[in-house]
Amino acid sequence: MLLETHRAEIETILSRYDSRRSAVLPLLYLAQDIYGHLTEAAIREVAAILDLPPTDVFEVVGFYTLFYNRPVGTWVLQVCDDVPCCYLGAEELIAALKQSLGIAEEQTTGDGMFTLQRVKCLAACDRAPVLQANLDYVYDVTPERVNALLANLRARAAEARQRGVSGRFAEDFEWGPDGALVPIDRAAPYRPRHFPAAPSPAPPEPEPVPEADAGHDRPADRKASPL
Amino acid sequence: MGLSEHIVMRELDVPEINDFEVYCRHGGWEAYRMALKEKNPADIVAMVKESGLRGRGGAGFPTGVKWGFLPKGVYPRYLLCNCDESEPGTFNNHQIIDRNPHQLIEGVALSAYAIECHTAYIYMRGEFAAAAITLERAIAAAYRAGFLGRNILGTGFDLDIYVHRGAGAYICGEETALMESLEGKIGQPRLKPPFPAVAGLYGKPTIINNVETLANVPRIVEKGVAWYRSHGTEKSPGTKCFSLSGHVNRPGNYELPFGVPLRELIESPEYGGGMRGGRPTKIIIPGGASAPWLTHEHLDVPLDYESVAAAGSMLGSGAVIVLDDTVKAPHVAYKMDEFFKHESCGKCTPCREGTHWLVRVLHRIAEEGHAVPEDIPTLHSIYNQMAGNCFCLLGESAVMPIKSALALFPEEFEAIVAASRRHPHGNGHGDGRHEPVIPLTTKR
Repeated sequence: MLLETHRAEIETILSRYDSRRSAVLPLLYLAQDIYGHLTEAAIREVAAILDLPPTDVFEVVGFYTLFYNRPVGTWVLQVCDDVPCCYLGAEELIAALKQSLGIAEEQTTGDGMFTLQRVKCLAACDRAPVLQANLDYVYDVTPERVNALLANLRARAAEARQRGVSGRFAEDFEWGPDGALVPIDRAAPYRPRHFPAAPSPAPPEPEPVPEADAGHDRPADRKASPL
Repeated sequence: MGLSEHIVMRELDVPEINDFEVYCRHGGWEAYRMALKEKNPADIVAMVKESGLRGRGGAGFPTGVKWGFLPKGVYPRYLLCNCDESEPGTFNNHQIIDRNPHQLIEGVALSAYAIECHTAYIYMRGEFAAAAITLERAIAAAYRAGFLGRNILGTGFDLDIYVHRGAGAYICGEETALMESLEGKIGQPRLKPPFPAVAGLYGKPTIINNVETLANVPRIVEKGVAWYRSHGTEKSPGTKCFSLSGHVNRPGNYELPFGVPLRELIESPEYGGGMRGGRPTKIIIPGGASAPWLTHEHLDVPLDYESVAAAGSMLGSGAVIVLDDTVKAPHVAYKMDEFFKHESCGKCTPCREGTHWLVRVLHRIAEEGHAVPEDIPTLHSIYNQMAGNCFCLLGESAVMPIKSALALFPEEFEAIVAASRRHPHGNGHGDGRHEPVIPLTTKR
């Protein structure tokens, strides 16, 4: 029971707000970390702590994408597939993850280690392709780095350094010069990425859109095109 | 046209400014200390008003004017800092907090003093989990130094700042949805008026400002209005952290004075460094996903609110996405509208249904390569029914990608129609059926 095991943390959260209901998101994060995902009992427990009708809390769980009401893996991998990531290698990254893990999007590996999801913009477009592993950012995840990433995450899980799927203890990562994942250096001056003379990646469509025969029925002038 | 000194991205001038002591050694918290001892709240409001600081979150509304909307003598008041940065192409709030969190906190504290409020919340998108921890540590340092808490610096001013994490919903960046979310509800926007300044969080007067906006405030108070206005243009003073992404050689955040031409941002070796592989620029989205598209014809447009609006788009959040000729316009419109469909809160019909049908038709066109002639008027019809009819700006924003794509690159849609005509069964299902097309309600 959360109130018995985490009373101090819950009291701190409640003290921040002039209305108890405002604590619903932080308490759901806490419950999700303790129980692994938000079971019906967990949601009712949060409702009871906040003195809310359970329906109100079920509604909140259903609305926000970071609450999981069914079991997820030890690591939830969330890959941004929005513009511009999708044109900068996100589709290739998702394909590589699917192949390495042997699962499709929204599935969990048989050993319960990884859940794979596509998500919307992660606000790190300059570091595309980008993903979050339990809300830890990992920048510049090219397909070649997938195996190193998965090995790192498996090792952290084995050493019990995975601390819940809700990001209450999150840390962000980039790739060090030796190819290992290192925590980002927040003290370093911000440096934009630089792609020296790199070609633009190919468009991601798996099957290219059929082109009209060149020179035949492609309208030469868009204003004169028959609509 | 670079900067001699950065206003917001100070980590480029001051190494390790993310350290509380380093921030203080470089003038950090001095503006706040001086304001509390020597200035009235009204003086700070007047300074911010005179500085011409405009909201950096997208709307560009003058910050001091917004503060002036608070009804006199009504307390308590709340200050909310909007850090729900979630729109494709935006990533400067994220960096400000990672590298220079103390300036944001000082900005929140100064603004709270100016509007006479004693509780401020920084609402961060749920995905900014590590950044939330960074910010909480920086807030703790400010408490330890006596800049937050009770009877601050012996002046009798009380202030608490809390970090509140959302849980994955772009709509919570809409100011009234943000307040609903902070009240523990689903993030659906409220009807305005009443505006938040009159009835906001818990029904109390509330001011909501973006991260970048508030990070400007300490420098305005420290260095004065004239210094601030010496950057940028007459109507858009100061600097903007442009988030440049897409097919450029150097994607990243660049703090530049307002008015720098788009071409300089994209092509200068100091900034974007040109297009990857030297390919031609095809689509430029100058203000986040909700901005109408520009093309290479607009490369000389100065990046300030008025000029970008005159070019037919909007500067918005300053998130500049540049795409080259490897992308297809229907596919970009599809991906953008898929974002808005995913993030639609479902409250109003034009947005919920409109984004759904746009994506349904666009998915077939862009991903399956199959289009029927009726698709083009259908797409026009759907966005026309959405435009001006949605409850909040999310639905209105979803109009822009498809409207821009059809206006600028109609031949790409027509080519797919023409190709489909020659392969009438190529609908991707192999059964000869078309995906449903909704009936037209307006004749174009």
